Amino acid sequence: MQIQIAWRNIWRNPRRTMIMLTAMIIGIWSMIFLGGMMRGMMVGMINNGISTLTGDIQIHAKGYRDDPSIEYFMPDLKGIEKTINKILPRGSRYTSRIRVNAIAANARHSTGVTMVGIHPVKEPGVSFIGPGAVVHGRYLVPGNNNGILIGRAMAEKFGTKTGHKIILMSENIQHDIASKAFIIMGIFKAEMQSTEKHFVFVTSSSARHMLKLAKGASEISIILPHHKGDKKITWNLRQAIPDSYEIHTWQELLPILTSYLKMFDGFMYIWFLVIFIAMGFGIVNTTLMAVYERMKEFGLLKALGMRPWLIIRSVLLESFMLLVIGTAIGNCMGFLTIHFLSITGINLTSLSAGAEFAGLSRIIYPVLYPKDIIMANVVVIGLGLVVSLYPAVKAARFTPVEALSHE
Amino acid sequence: MLVCFLSTGLLNCRAGQQPATPAVPDAMLYRKPVTGDFLVKKSFYYMRGTASISTVEMIVHRPEWERHMTINAWTRGDKNSIFFITAPPKDNGNGTLKKGRGMWIFNPKINRTIKLPPSMMSQSWMGSDFSNNDLSKTDSLLKDYTHRIVRTETENSLKIYTIDSTPKPDAPVIWGKLQLEIRQDFILLKEVYYDEDSKPVKILTTGDIQMMGNRLFPVMWKMQKAESVESDDSVNSKDKYTLLIYKKIKFVPDLPERLFTLSNLKNPGKRR
Repeated sequence: MQIQIAWRNIWRNPRRTMIMLTAMIIGIWSMIFLGGMMRGMMVGMINNGISTLTGDIQIHAKGYRDDPSIEYFMPDLKGIEKTINKILPRGSRYTSRIRVNAIAANARHSTGVTMVGIHPVKEPGVSFIGPGAVVHGRYLVPGNNNGILIGRAMAEKFGTKTGHKIILMSENIQHDIASKAFIIMGIFKAEMQSTEKHFVFVTSSSARHMLKLAKGASEISIILPHHKGDKKITWNLRQAIPDSYEIHTWQELLPILTSYLKMFDGFMYIWFLVIFIAMGFGIVNTTLMAVYERMKEFGLLKALGMRPWLIIRSVLLESFMLLVIGTAIGNCMGFLTIHFLSITGINLTSLSAGAEFAGLSRIIYPVLYPKDIIMANVVVIGLGLVVSLYPAVKAARFTPVEALSHE
Repeated sequence: MLVCFLSTGLLNCRAGQQPATPAVPDAMLYRKPVTGDFLVKKSFYYMRGTASISTVEMIVHRPEWERHMTINAWTRGDKNSIFFITAPPKDNGNGTLKKGRGMWIFNPKINRTIKLPPSMMSQSWMGSDFSNNDLSKTDSLLKDYTHRIVRTETENSLKIYTIDSTPKPDAPVIWGKLQLEIRQDFILLKEVYYDEDSKPVKILTTGDIQMMGNRLFPVMWKMQKAESVESDDSVNSKDKYTLLIYKKIKFVPDLPERLFTLSNLKNPGKRR
């Protein structure tokens, strides 16, 4: 019976109720939508970070991370690979790379780049580069000793195309200047423009030849199946591989990204709270109005001997019903919006220069995390009930005399 | 205007007075058919000598400003050289040592020599239109290119050969092609740097050929960006150049090895 009374009470002033509901729906919709957007951005950032030559785990010689020059290379590549093979779970992939800073130049332009000597066959599963990323020309083949892949943005900046020359200059193992002419085999595209500008790829054999490195590589990058278990495997690797090597997870390799993700989490809850505070005042205000309107009624109920607790309960029940309807519709709208947006993605290409700065992808696919949905609903319903407590208590406190003399 | 000195018409006005110089044995020229390789090699060693000591004024000209510097230079063989700036006083003592493919610069203000990292090789030397690479890879012309004579002209009874120099396939050379103009007495008149689309990028012209240090030598060397470079440059490219004016040059048989060392670069007392 209580529920029925509450339901009827809600619709005694339909306009007010509708306004209230709209506020709630917009509130919860924006929480879910923004949550989905932010999670989408985060997932995009992580995927970008990992596929831009990071991988889940990396192995370097000690010292390379502080000074990424060729002198800190790993001579005993075979031995390490043997150890890795024993430890890594099935379905993992890894590859070794030679990675140094270099200067790329043609007749008119020159720029600093990261020269990456890759194993053309092993690389594609580990990072973004592979035959699929090449938009013009061809991908590298093993044994090719003067082919180079450059990014689309760099090709545009240099005004060059496949078949033309790029000269790379770097320091070789004897600290002399090494320079080598490469022919552009292909032009690759990447999620981020900065990747296209920053990286050039050659075969590891040609990189070794240029840097006068007989064997070895500067890093090993590992991708785990479903990106799971990186911490445990890193620990195992650290036990098995000698101390002259360093092993890091992507969280350690990309410290800025990691702290960014943490900040995002905090930011989201603050956002939830801000939306709620705005909504909360609305709830209190409306409920308070409804309560004062019905002052006589409450006074009468009191005079008839109704217990204050029951009055509180009936007011809370009204709020609760409003909240449930509001969140239900809001959730549905949120899901629908996210569903449609996740098909096409949110295209940020027009803002790509700014978005790049924050390390965002060009297209964001919103992602819903159950914990965010639960969080949003709990915040709204839970705190909604808490704030309605104030008008409810107010209603319960009316004395019959006061209420009946009220005009 | 200094530019007028550089027009080829004026080139021979003084050179004409010295048709037979000891450095140009005419007989050698005509003994066998002249090839591009021969001319370039001869010209390179003619211009550079086995060793030389020179004083050069460098003028970096830009539409808004101009900078004058005086440089003392020593060269030895095809790989070693050392230069010091002597004027303006602000830059006095700044030195560059080039040994093999390595380059070091010394700045007296910080009292430190710096080995030029690869990243600085394509930057300009002392703000001029010459890049560090232009200086450090001087012998690249002999090593990295194949030379072919494409045209022969005669001016004032001296033959001028136009030579196309194409980089060897694996040579670490950024240019698509060089075009050299070498006079029959091995004086380099012009060097045009082309990109891979065969558009000129930079042009080096020499002029005002005079008797200097026992041989005919161009006094003016001008490095200029080609006009068709980029739209924003094209307007001013005429007004942007670097001019080298040889005040003194002396060719000597040899110079002591100790001149071309880091300690000499650092220690200004020893070198004068």
